Amino acid sequence: MRPFAPTLVLLLLCLSLPSAVPTVLAKKKQPSATSGPSEHRRAVHALNRLTFGPRPGDVQQVEAMGVDKWIDLQLRPERIKDSGLGSRLAPFRTLHMSPKELAEDFPDGQIIRQVMDGKKSMPSDPAKRAVYQAQIARFHEKKDRRTEAANDARSAAIRAVNATSGNGAPVPPDGSMAAEQGAEGSPNRPAGNNAMNATPAGENEAPSSPGPGTDSSMAPSADTKTPPADDPEARRREERLYADLEIQQLFNLPPAERFKKVLSISADQQIALANSLRGGKAQEFVAGMDPKQKETILAMSNPQAVVVGELAEAKLLRAIYSERQLEEVMTDFWFNHFNVFVGKGADRLLLTSYEQDVIRPRALGKFEDLLVATAKSPAMLFYLDNWLSVGPNSAQALGVPARPLRRYGRDSRYPRRFPPPHARPKGKQNSGLNENYGRELLELHTLSVNGGYSQRDVTEVAKVFTGWTIDKPNEGGGFRYDPLMHEPGPKFVLGHRIKPKGEDEGREVLHRLATSPETAHLISLKLAQRFVSDDPSPALVDRMAKTFLKKKGDIREVLAALFQSPEFWAADTYRAKVKTPLEFVASAVRATGADVGDALPLVRQLNNMGMPLYGAQPPTGYSMKAETWVNSSALLNRMNFAVSLAAGKVRGVKVDAAEIAGSNPPPVDSLSMLSIMENRLLAGDVTQQTHDSIAAQIEGMSNHGQQSADSGKRGEAPRAPDVDIIAGLLLGSPEFQRR
Amino acid sequence: MPITRRVFLRDSALAVVGTAAIPSFLARAAYGAAEAGSRNKRLVVIFQRGAADGLNIVVPHGEAQYYAMRPSINIPRKAVIDLDGFFGLHPSLAPFQPLWQQRHLAIVHAAGSPDPTRSHFDAQDFMESGTPGRKATDDGWLNRTLHSIPQSSPKSPFRAIALGPSLPRILSGSEPAVAMNNINDFSVGGRGSKPSPAASTFQAMYDHSADTVLHTTGEETFEAVKMLKAADPGKYKPASRANYPRGRFGDSLRQLAQLIKATLGVRVAFADIGGWDHHVNEGSTEGQIANVLSDFSQSLAAFWTDLGDLAEDTVIVTMSEFGRTARENGNRGTDHGHANVMFVLGDPVKGGKVYGRWPGLERSQLYEGRDLALTTDFRQVIGEAMARHMGNGNLNAVFPGYENQTGKFLKILG
Repeated sequence: MRPFAPTLVLLLLCLSLPSAVPTVLAKKKQPSATSGPSEHRRAVHALNRLTFGPRPGDVQQVEAMGVDKWIDLQLRPERIKDSGLGSRLAPFRTLHMSPKELAEDFPDGQIIRQVMDGKKSMPSDPAKRAVYQAQIARFHEKKDRRTEAANDARSAAIRAVNATSGNGAPVPPDGSMAAEQGAEGSPNRPAGNNAMNATPAGENEAPSSPGPGTDSSMAPSADTKTPPADDPEARRREERLYADLEIQQLFNLPPAERFKKVLSISADQQIALANSLRGGKAQEFVAGMDPKQKETILAMSNPQAVVVGELAEAKLLRAIYSERQLEEVMTDFWFNHFNVFVGKGADRLLLTSYEQDVIRPRALGKFEDLLVATAKSPAMLFYLDNWLSVGPNSAQALGVPARPLRRYGRDSRYPRRFPPPHARPKGKQNSGLNENYGRELLELHTLSVNGGYSQRDVTEVAKVFTGWTIDKPNEGGGFRYDPLMHEPGPKFVLGHRIKPKGEDEGREVLHRLATSPETAHLISLKLAQRFVSDDPSPALVDRMAKTFLKKKGDIREVLAALFQSPEFWAADTYRAKVKTPLEFVASAVRATGADVGDALPLVRQLNNMGMPLYGAQPPTGYSMKAETWVNSSALLNRMNFAVSLAAGKVRGVKVDAAEIAGSNPPPVDSLSMLSIMENRLLAGDVTQQTHDSIAAQIEGMSNHGQQSADSGKRGEAPRAPDVDIIAGLLLGSPEFQRR
Repeated sequence: MPITRRVFLRDSALAVVGTAAIPSFLARAAYGAAEAGSRNKRLVVIFQRGAADGLNIVVPHGEAQYYAMRPSINIPRKAVIDLDGFFGLHPSLAPFQPLWQQRHLAIVHAAGSPDPTRSHFDAQDFMESGTPGRKATDDGWLNRTLHSIPQSSPKSPFRAIALGPSLPRILSGSEPAVAMNNINDFSVGGRGSKPSPAASTFQAMYDHSADTVLHTTGEETFEAVKMLKAADPGKYKPASRANYPRGRFGDSLRQLAQLIKATLGVRVAFADIGGWDHHVNEGSTEGQIANVLSDFSQSLAAFWTDLGDLAEDTVIVTMSEFGRTARENGNRGTDHGHANVMFVLGDPVKGGKVYGRWPGLERSQLYEGRDLALTTDFRQVIGEAMARHMGNGNLNAVFPGYENQTGKFLKILG
């Protein structure tokens, strides 16, 4: 491991040496040696830690209010007005829709198949109908392509066999491979789909990759409607070719008419449209439409990507624009602690409500409430498989039918993947425990891996939670306790006997866990790692854990204690935490005061930086430690992002040079500009090395008569010299990587 | 035939070394290709994250117990690709079959980490730190091994590389290592042949920064960027028969092959593939495990083909943090278990054989009555590759606290 503490000492030494600081800034940042940090420095620090980074003017505002008072206010988000954010989130309708509504408007593959099989009716609303039709058409298209690919592969194989040896390499089935690549979600697939790239192969992936075996079941019913005189596949392909041409004309219509026309064209034309809108064209096509129209058009390409995309955009917009910054930081913290992966099947529809209804309202509340709410949330029940866990001696496992039998296939209590118990062949019953949730509950959510539990405890906890299930997750159903799935009899958890009492057994275990000293320690440690340092002092963690226990898991109280601790304000804590990619991107946008019209390009940046939003597959969530995020690939991504952001080259993000430079008339020379921007973007905390390096570049450029890339050609009012270049370099500097 | 070409290359490399004076341009041009002995050997480590189900990957189809414990997710005897009458490959591993027949592919069953943890996080951590049960180890064994293998001078910044957006635990430590997500994005301010002004300024900032953590990484990064620009790995297209499947893992290996072919001096490399944690609906010959195995085997087979002659010096080892329960669970999946299977692939490998002692699947033979018991410590397998292939004479430093006696090696390598 590279030495960490000495680094900080060195860095701080550097910062506090007058000779090491550009003279312009030297006056401002000299804390008096004896009386602790100045109010200015305290304000910078508080903003760095409690928010996603200071915006222009934030430091002054916090100083004016008083740092302690500001912290107090941040701990009570309900007292902070946040109307600006509201209008930015208004276009995202999915944020306010229930999982049920989401499932209906943005159907997954299972629902589409049900419609195709006639088990569900096609929606009558024309906009919804268009989405469904496009998905059905897509199924056909995929099937065609697979057939083609198989044929090509077969003929390639035949060619290979026929090819005489020594006649060079056999022709690889290039054509089929290329076609396949263009069509399905390639890793760099545009708009909205990226958050789902991390999907593990074979997860309930219905629309994009129906598992093998699903084809044959859907093919017959699909083709019966259009009895083909000739080859139906060929006909469809031809239709699509013509459709492509017509779509070009749609672009010329005014938005409202364009939308109306889309609803009226054939399903094949619609899918051709959806395909042609990939690669960034979609935004252009939906420009001027209202939110619902936009969502409909985008949903035709990939319904669930709309939901996930809006969720991810909203997360970034909240991080960047919410006034309730601490609440957002804590929402992010708890989401990560109780991580759920967006790529797992129904969780795509369940996460919106999980964050909005489960996490955020309790982010500063009582830990036990949060724990119970996550335990009951469909998102968690689905992610860690508890909804399927059945007691080995439960009524269901023993085959006792509690309700009148219905014919398999019509039983709406079970999604198609999971036939109801009575319909399963003997010996293959879905009748066992699933330990997944039980284990992560103990290891990650509460006690920690060293929290003194055994494999037996994991199994017993799993038994306790049998019956905590979901009604039809892929249709957005809610929590349900099913006594038929519950393991009867007493359980023994961590040395305690849990009396048989159904659902309440789970409540009892959650209460025990929430009030355990091990849990208090784990939560305190993680909070200290988020707000203080990667390796917080054990003394601090112990004090926080005591507060946790004394205040019955009141998170607000634990945080208040943390923010008053000497460790939080210690000199070696200042700017010591390396930002995660999310913190880096959000803080860079905030520092520049940029206007984000479309957050998806930022969402994609986070994918490149290895931190796709909602995309942590393992239940551990993302690391908060420097070692995870400091590496070559990440650093290059950060520098490149900084340069593009400042140069206004990140699509959807408007950066105003005058805003970065400050409202006063900008100075004419670049060096003064540099000093001003060091103050505005980094509160003046810039080392001599960084200052000199940037100064050398801008001097070199003016000597060579070079101008910033596009300062001349925009035809704007006179711009401050080299603002974009200076800002890019400062945002990519080592100093800006820490908070 | 490839074999003759490989032999020819080895001979010519020796011939070059035998010559007293090597033209300096030749030495520069090839960090790896024209150097002596073990200096150009490389080890590629593949991690299957999420606990792969070894029993459904290399199937003990000769065990009746296997079929009894897995009524709905077993791989039927008729579907298994038989290897030796007892073990067989999952049908999705068909791309491995030729490698097995050519004896480049060896299998070690019932292998893994001896630590009893069933936590993904801890178990991965232990297998990457190389010190099961000990959490305080702060570097990874793939990094530590760089201390004690013979290396060329100057050391290439690419000698240790991880494909992916972040540097994994296994490669963290005091030896420089590079994480690379995408070769094409690995530069500042565009891909031009000359460094952009911003790149030079950033380099000046990071090279001399007092922030040690960022400084060290920054320096390594800029050195690597420079070298990569010069080598232009983009011109190394995959070999015609190397059909990488789409997806992250295939992309990783495709790019790794480019770096190796560009003779950038890659000595140890790491890539990972997720999607193995099948608690529910694992599937059998089709389904989740079949899908991820197809990706896994096609990618590795393509990588092997792509390396061509360079496979001569390459050994690939796969591992996963633990296996899965011998019995299927109530959701036609499997829960966290213990021992697993490892693949060892390479020209120097004595393949076509399943190594290790098979512990059996009777209840009394299972670990804690539920999981495949462990008979080979993963450090023994890696240790052998380290010592015999990479020429590392100090295994105690690579795996502190583990007695890795060369006499006890499984003799997987020639």
